[in-house]
Amino acid sequence: MKARLTTILATTVFLLAGLSLGAQTSYKIGYLPSTVGQALTKAWGMGIEKTLKAEGAQVQSLDAQMKAEIQVSMMDDFINQGYNLIILQPIDAAALTASVKKAESKGIPVITLNTDTLAPHLACVTMDDYGAGYAVGDAIGKQLAGKGNVALIQSPPGALAGVEREKGFRDVMKKTYPGIKIVGAQNGEWNKDKAIAIMNSFLQVNKDLDAVFAVNDNMAEGAAIAADSAGRLKDVKIWGFNGQKSTLVQIEQGKVTGTAYTNAYDQGAAAAKLALETLKAGVKPATKTLVVTIKPFLATAETVSQITADNRW
Amino acid sequence: MSTSTIRRLILIGLLLAIGAALSLASPSFLKLDNLMTLLQDASQTGIVAIGFTLVLITAGIDMSIGAVIAVSAMVCVNFLTYTALPAALFIPLSLCVGLAVGAFNGFFITHFKLPEFIVTLASRGILAGLALIIAVKDTDGFVSNVYIQDPVYLGFGGTVGPFYIVTIVFVVLAFLTQGFIKRTRAGTNIYATGANPTAARLSGISTTRSIYGVYMFCGFCASLAAVFLSARMMTAMPEFGIGSEMDVIASVVIGGTPFTGGVGDIWGTVIGTLFLALIKNGILKLGISPYIQPIAIGGIIIVVVVVDVWYKDFAEKLARKAARRRLASAESRAAA
Repeated sequence: MKARLTTILATTVFLLAGLSLGAQTSYKIGYLPSTVGQALTKAWGMGIEKTLKAEGAQVQSLDAQMKAEIQVSMMDDFINQGYNLIILQPIDAAALTASVKKAESKGIPVITLNTDTLAPHLACVTMDDYGAGYAVGDAIGKQLAGKGNVALIQSPPGALAGVEREKGFRDVMKKTYPGIKIVGAQNGEWNKDKAIAIMNSFLQVNKDLDAVFAVNDNMAEGAAIAADSAGRLKDVKIWGFNGQKSTLVQIEQGKVTGTAYTNAYDQGAAAAKLALETLKAGVKPATKTLVVTIKPFLATAETVSQITADNRW
Repeated sequence: MSTSTIRRLILIGLLLAIGAALSLASPSFLKLDNLMTLLQDASQTGIVAIGFTLVLITAGIDMSIGAVIAVSAMVCVNFLTYTALPAALFIPLSLCVGLAVGAFNGFFITHFKLPEFIVTLASRGILAGLALIIAVKDTDGFVSNVYIQDPVYLGFGGTVGPFYIVTIVFVVLAFLTQGFIKRTRAGTNIYATGANPTAARLSGISTTRSIYGVYMFCGFCASLAAVFLSARMMTAMPEFGIGSEMDVIASVVIGGTPFTGGVGDIWGTVIGTLFLALIKNGILKLGISPYIQPIAIGGIIIVVVVVDVWYKDFAEKLARKAARRRLASAESRAAA
């Protein structure tokens, strides 16, 4: 009896020790996107999770609900809980700078996705927003043969990713296609419903609208719905940005003209790989942010078939 | 012990119970850093909630608080970017934004007898637009969020000992406001305005003045919160605080101040604020999916409020029974 008790005790101690040892070697990594409700952040999350879980690391994701205040408070939470590394999609570059600085100063490396911050941190794994915006502008310019009216469906003011896309677009219009007029620009808040309303008003005001550039795919899909119900889908070229699965299907159906596609699984996986490498090599304070750019690909009716099913998100 | 004291103790008991459960579930919950962050989050909402409590006591509602936060923050960064005024000078000026909005709300509510909800919802829209208009722009005309580096301004986001300054201000403001509503005539007038405005007017109380007062105070609190929020985040965004109304309202109502007016106090609000902040902070540590988290938060709030209301009904029933018994024994004595 006594011996059995001792065995049980010993096994328990051993198990507990094993558990705590296991807990020490497995890394805890926090994933904090701007919101969990979008295809892009979901695809990133899947890329991150797959890569990290293969190595036995734990991932916890939190939902910042598109509010910088909430995101800052969640960053504090990851820091207080002693996470080993944080993968963050800052809602705003300036607003998250203090949090990133705090994490880095406590020895917790931060990898940002798509939006850089002002404080140096481990790395920023980003789509090429400006370059892709420029490329979309160039494609629209060619499709319209340098003449016509275009409108923009914008991101919320201050959202760096959206602003960069728009800047790239406006720059190519100014430089290469002076014959194209930008007849309207409204904030669609990254959001489909909002984009439908905006597109309706664009269509009513501009009887000869030739193209619309929405700075993300959700808004491009919204614009397509509005144009379709107004019976003007044939006359208006609609371009989006990101390349989510549903939009690629709409490109195949001829509803959306094109989008700047980035492989979000790969982007998430790249961030996760970098995270593991850094943690294994030992964390050093970051003096300069490493920028990893994932190249975009212009998906149109002609090129969309090159994106295979397992690369669609 | 009065019913309301017991109700409060039950709420505090629940608060402690959830706190204990969370510290068992997650070892990092009771760490000093985490508790201070929790208090910082609570105080941020709490400062606004104090002002909002007074509005709710007058049976009003203020939907513009979030937008006041946005505009006040924008005013501050404008001063920082375009002027050389010291922070000690322009921060009081930006607090006047809240007072002015409160006066605007008070004017339309009292002068035109418009519903509070509509007036403040309208001013919320106006202010949200205004925040975008006055936001600092870059050379291409895009909103650029200023990175604040003024040491005095950033001091508001700092700490004294382990406590964040915002927490200290919250506690002081709570004491002062509680003293004001319970111990001054103006405070009593606020309760009277909410309980029965006609009776209050007939007994010579200026309900107009009370209403102006509470909306201006509520605006002031929101502006104050804006300074702390922007100092913590070292920046200000034109969409700051918009949408935070719901947390404020929830905190106040969990604290026992009803929408019907005439009842409520600041201690309840303080507890309610701590409650919401505690749940929100704790839920992050349980390792559950972010899809489930809001459901869990909603569930806990319902349980707490059900317990609270159940006790209130129970106590009232007891009181009625006791009163009936007293009445019966008095009657039987009179008969004898």
